[in-house]
Amino acid sequence: MSVPILRFGDVLIASIQLAQTDAELLALRDRLAGQVGDARARGVIIDVSALDVMDSFATRTLRAIAYSSRLRGAHTIVVGISPEVAFSMVQLGLELGAVSTALDLDDAIAQIEERRRSQQRRD
Amino acid sequence: MANDLVSEADTAVAREMGLLSEQAIERRLKAVALGPDDLARIARVREPILGHIEEYTASFFDYLAELDEARDFMRNRDAVEQARRLKVQHLVAMVGGQYGTEYAQQRIKLGRLYSRAGLEMRLFLGAFHDLLRRIGATLLANATTGEEAFKDFVSLNKVAFFDIGIIVDVMVFERERVISRQQEAIRELTTPVLQIRDRLLMLPIIGTLDTHRARMLTEGLLHAIRANRARVVVMDVTGVSAVDTKVANHLLQTVAASRLMGATVIVTGLSAEVSQTLVNLGVDLAGLQTIGDLQGGIEEAERLIGYQVLRTEQRSPSPSLSS
Repeated sequence: MSVPILRFGDVLIASIQLAQTDAELLALRDRLAGQVGDARARGVIIDVSALDVMDSFATRTLRAIAYSSRLRGAHTIVVGISPEVAFSMVQLGLELGAVSTALDLDDAIAQIEERRRSQQRRD
Repeated sequence: MANDLVSEADTAVAREMGLLSEQAIERRLKAVALGPDDLARIARVREPILGHIEEYTASFFDYLAELDEARDFMRNRDAVEQARRLKVQHLVAMVGGQYGTEYAQQRIKLGRLYSRAGLEMRLFLGAFHDLLRRIGATLLANATTGEEAFKDFVSLNKVAFFDIGIIVDVMVFERERVISRQQEAIRELTTPVLQIRDRLLMLPIIGTLDTHRARMLTEGLLHAIRANRARVVVMDVTGVSAVDTKVANHLLQTVAASRLMGATVIVTGLSAEVSQTLVNLGVDLAGLQTIGDLQGGIEEAERLIGYQVLRTEQRSPSPSLSS
């Protein structure tokens, strides 16, 4: 099942509900890359709260989504990493690098709003 | 006398020790090399021994009464009375020829009684040895030759060592259980995660961090982050006296895992000594946000979340203003 991508203003929300194969993750990456441009998105939120495993491929793909979205002007936030997943990722040495994280969707939206405000102040 | 029967708790211990299966008993009997010859010999000496059981039991407790170290145990009258009855039961069963699960469970009951009443293992062994010596004397008096008596004694000794094996295991098991319970208590005590403001947690770390504790601590923190929806965690290590590469890595892992859950971690209270050690060890703490003391850490955390702490106006106006 492909991951639905919802639009919320200028924010794209992808909620991963089932364990994804590597190919499905790549497909998600490509669809997001396309839609960031189509929707003129300023933020991308990827919800992984339903996942109970996060391997090196998934981590790398999330990093790739975040970096490529940033090049197109959207800030990516990964939300909903569970305590167990966070712990095992650290144990395995998996890192999200500069990708932002938030506890849940609420926080991620708040974070994007915060960024927007600080950018407007700068303008 | 109902409490002389094997209780639920005794059976539970037996199960936990893996003693309830026939195979486990078989292995134990094999370990002391108890064979059919021995059973035949024990059956032959059964009658003379049964005649002296009260005497043996009395001598066992008299022996303990002589020992200063066993005084506390002997003062515990209820325990001694019960132990006396169980000892009689033990000696009868010892020459009974049936060494199955029921026999083992009775030994477990006695072992637990000793360990609860605080009878030291060496004292039990001393008294039990003395008891065996008395049984040996009986055997010598009843056998045709010294050699026969010796053989009888060896056969009975095998059962005795089978018993000792179980009783010692039970005493060790009970002691380990107490230790593990205490460790559990210490672990829970020393890793509290405290909420000091909405969405702001504090984690004071005290004592030494080993791998196991670091793991418990990290897991506790991660769950607390989720439960309290924390955005910032102040981790105070003022109480950590020694830091090495391993501990530093644990701290880094905790910080990284918290970050994955969307929380920022501020480490405070790295002492001059600890920070020197870390620099000398070459641990890369670039990923850590550190602030000197706990107060500074909490202030920074409040700033990050958007709190502003204002002091209310002083109740008594300062002299310069009133004049």
